Amino acid sequence: MAGYNLERLNFLCVDDNKHMRALVKTILHALGSKNVHEAADGADAFKELRHFPADIIICDWNMSPLDGLDFVRLVRTGKDSPNPFVPIIMLTGHTEMHRVIEARDAGVHEFLAKPISAKGLFSRIRSIIERPRPFIRAGMYFGPDRRRRQIDWKGPERRKAGMAAAGASNAADGGLSQAEVEALLNG
Amino acid sequence: MSNNGPEFIEPPSHLKDKVKITEGGVDLDALEKAEALIAGLQDSYLEWVEGDLEKLQTFYGQAMAAEGADRRARLNDVFSVAHDVKGQGGSFDYHLMTAIGNKLCRFIEKLPGEITRGHMEVVKVHIDALRLVIAQRMAGEGGRAGENLMRGLDAVITKVSGPEG
Repeated sequence: MAGYNLERLNFLCVDDNKHMRALVKTILHALGSKNVHEAADGADAFKELRHFPADIIICDWNMSPLDGLDFVRLVRTGKDSPNPFVPIIMLTGHTEMHRVIEARDAGVHEFLAKPISAKGLFSRIRSIIERPRPFIRAGMYFGPDRRRRQIDWKGPERRKAGMAAAGASNAADGGLSQAEVEALLNG
Repeated sequence: MSNNGPEFIEPPSHLKDKVKITEGGVDLDALEKAEALIAGLQDSYLEWVEGDLEKLQTFYGQAMAAEGADRRARLNDVFSVAHDVKGQGGSFDYHLMTAIGNKLCRFIEKLPGEITRGHMEVVKVHIDALRLVIAQRMAGEGGRAGENLMRGLDAVITKVSGPEG
């Protein structure tokens, strides 16, 4: 059967845990990718981007000194960013609603909950390939269009309302499922 | 272009230009093979998770020996490792590691200002449970033993923190 050929794509995998990097790399190689570079934190990754033209970045959240969210902001809005448009998949165990919204508002394209699987990672990559989004500069935000569905919305600004509601709900079980994350991001 | 309105920018390139659909591309078969490859890493996982279990034990011991803000700081270290354990177990068919790691993270997050001996006991029981899962190689959901383990952890949390957890 035929499918997307990922051979020519350059991936940058950013995670402070070497085992997680190895896992992501194993999956990407199994899916046919040849060029997978690694970095252990956001600062290393930013340096790597200067000489490695990544097509997709797969990035963990918790890293030091520069964590995933700061890295995404640096890539999107840093004056010396090598590629402010590069698609970024945020990969993290933090799936609470306010975290998902925070990541989206920093400018990530996709959000993948750990523990990951090959199917889960590929579905995010496929989404980036199949649904290219325009970028938006609005106020402090620069990143992919956060409204994926084109709707003629006349109501209040849901993104602002969502941030306030996020803290109140979903505190009990510690996170959203991947399906709930998708529903939120597609909203 | 208004200064107040959002500015739409088309990215210079799209991945569709670089990714073609070909024979030998990613299809269901390729995904199954990739999943099988991850399953083949289970032995490596069982080796490296031992390192995480040791760290949990060490940070717990340090938390027990500390008081006040220091104890909380060491428990934050426990949280970090438990968070890693939560994020990895399920990838290698150790879903109980993910479930117990999650319970431990949620418990530490909700700890009140004063951390009692009872709270520390709950943390210890969770770490012991993680060790048991690996020692007994309780892969998957862990069957009946896994269910009992999860129920036991819930009961311990309820006893110390009340029904709201």
